[in-house]
Amino acid sequence: MSSSNGLVCFTNCLIPLEDGSLVKRDLWIDERRGVVLDAQKTFFLNKERPAKVLDMGGNIVSPGFLDSQINGAYGFDFSVYDGDDEAYRKGLKLISTKIVETGVTALIPTIITQEKSLYPKLLNLLRPYSCLTGATLLGWHAEGPFIQMAKRGAHAPSFLRSAPSGFKSLDETYGASNLVHSEDWLMNDSALGVRIITAAPEVDGVLDSVKELTDRGIVFSIGHSIATTDIATNAVRKGARLITHLFNAMPQLHHRDPSIIGLLGASPHLASAFHPIASSDAPHTITFVRPFYELIVDGIHLHPNSVRLAYNVHPEGCILITDAMKILDPHLKDGIHEWRDGKRFVKEGEKLYLEGTDTLAGRHVNSLLAAQLPTSPVVTLDKCVRNFSRFTGCSLGEAIKCATFNPAKCLGIENRKGTLRPGADADLVVLDRTGHVVSTWVAGKQVWARG
Amino acid sequence: LIIRDHPAAVGEYIGDYIAKRIIDFAPTPEKPFVLGLPTGSSPIPTYKHLVSLVKAGKLSFKNVVTFNMDEYVGLPRDHSESYHTFMFREFFSHIDIDPKNVNILDGNAHDLIGECKAYEEKIKSYGGIELFLGGIGEDGHIAFNEPGSSLVSRTRIKTLAYDTILANARFFNNDIDAVPRMALTVGVGTVLDSREVVVVVTGQRKSLALSKAIEEGINHLWTLSALQNHPWALIVADEDATLELHVKTVKYFKSIEQVQNEVEARHAALRAKGLPQGDEAVGSME
Repeated sequence: MSSSNGLVCFTNCLIPLEDGSLVKRDLWIDERRGVVLDAQKTFFLNKERPAKVLDMGGNIVSPGFLDSQINGAYGFDFSVYDGDDEAYRKGLKLISTKIVETGVTALIPTIITQEKSLYPKLLNLLRPYSCLTGATLLGWHAEGPFIQMAKRGAHAPSFLRSAPSGFKSLDETYGASNLVHSEDWLMNDSALGVRIITAAPEVDGVLDSVKELTDRGIVFSIGHSIATTDIATNAVRKGARLITHLFNAMPQLHHRDPSIIGLLGASPHLASAFHPIASSDAPHTITFVRPFYELIVDGIHLHPNSVRLAYNVHPEGCILITDAMKILDPHLKDGIHEWRDGKRFVKEGEKLYLEGTDTLAGRHVNSLLAAQLPTSPVVTLDKCVRNFSRFTGCSLGEAIKCATFNPAKCLGIENRKGTLRPGADADLVVLDRTGHVVSTWVAGKQVWARG
Repeated sequence: LIIRDHPAAVGEYIGDYIAKRIIDFAPTPEKPFVLGLPTGSSPIPTYKHLVSLVKAGKLSFKNVVTFNMDEYVGLPRDHSESYHTFMFREFFSHIDIDPKNVNILDGNAHDLIGECKAYEEKIKSYGGIELFLGGIGEDGHIAFNEPGSSLVSRTRIKTLAYDTILANARFFNNDIDAVPRMALTVGVGTVLDSREVVVVVTGQRKSLALSKAIEEGINHLWTLSALQNHPWALIVADEDATLELHVKTVKYFKSIEQVQNEVEARHAALRAKGLPQGDEAVGSME
């Protein structure tokens, strides 16, 4: 099955480019080194061409999807650790090998607010992990504990914290070795790793930590917060470059204090952090770069109109996530399943109900209930991509960009992941023209195929 | 001169013609088919047709060696407008040619003159070029042999004519300053040394050059005219390219093609009956 010279050519296919366009073009990869090739250089400098040519039948050959926020899947929960390292690692491998069926080739395990003593151990277990038969686990996303009580959603109130000593409080909580500079955290040069912290900048001590975190290569994401526009703007100026599940767990858009959602409308020329409305006697202006933002496009967390609004305001910053729970499993059977706190949910095809109600998840649901609803077990990232394209009217190529290039760019790994530029890892997902996953490839080798 | 209705038909004709020549030649690794190739917009339909033949399994470039006509001097090889990029994008990436059999002049070589000499030597080492496919410039040039070039010239460095720079500006964002000023090119003599020359001429803009090259004398101001001295030359044009030709010329060549078809049909009938048919004259149009 393998190529005699290690080079493979995908032909008769559409390639999504980094600008969101889809072009008919061949793709050359090296299946031994697991990277995408510069075809022209390979031809003229190395004087080689692929010994194996695969006809993709007009399908789309895309970079594999990157899920920046996922709490678990296939029955394993990243936030649950009972002292057994071996069992935890087995769970990581389980998710890594199974999630490729959804087109995901890289993900960031996310842990919700924990009891303080668990963090150092958990974050250490979530060091970057890649295996050749599954998706790469890029590092960790710590959602909490430095979040706002009023917007905690399903996070346990007793474990929420503030940071009275600023960065030191974060060090104490997460474990100093987990917050070291990226160069030291990654240990060897070719390793790829990412750390994200979701916190509320208005919580005591958090805003002061943003710059230090960013300097160390950790991505600060604003979320579960009631920050005013000034505080949110200041957080971005200090280095925050991501918003956690935009619209959810944050103030609604108020026209005079647009807060976190309003960051998408920030002027590129801000007068100052505290007077964001430009005036002629402003002392000086700075250029302001709007942050990236995550969207859960499962059709439940957000009304399609909200998705389209956000995307049209700031398309370059849009990142699709699943925020999936451990119940994520496209093969989950219909019927009753355990949820949390004794509650159960009912799955009927694609529909989801809380047991004991006939309230369809996502319709006529008040905000309190919405905070407790599970993300659907069948809404995988590829489905989010298809939903997104339908809700916003954008092309499939542009939707793919939001699940590949945009997250990679936000996380600073766009030279290896989320792209098909020469030298990138050959992690691919083959989609048919309707955006359904046909096969998934990791490091140049097929690891999953439909049927 | 073969005339077809539009560029796609011209591309099909030449593609089929070259395919037949390669297949009849039956190239082997020891005796490959040596093909000369051009760049520009005119040959693109030909390349497309050849690619479709390869993809349909009807033609293979496994034992074909290619020599391109020219390349800009000083342009990085992976620049979007270099002729390396053009050939890879339009042709080489889609066919089964061995990269080791591909020859394109290196416009970034330290010793440009040495590069040109080495190119000529390499062509000689293969026993010369079997078929050279070329286009024509609006000023009648073949390869970058601009008006005034010696008709016996060999591969060398050429300064581009202002007309050519203007014509090529459209590939460099309409920025004249971005267009290279020099190029390495095979000479008129180099092209005429090949056993057969096929020229593709499409579009109204080439019509004046075509008329000068075939209706008037051999003249170094219209270097394509040197083809008149070649024993086996074929020009394939579309209707638009004939706009400056005399009606008499166009009718004459169309009638020749008709006669040629009749003769070939007769030969085919004779072959079927198993009778001898005399000398084969494949493709020549005298």
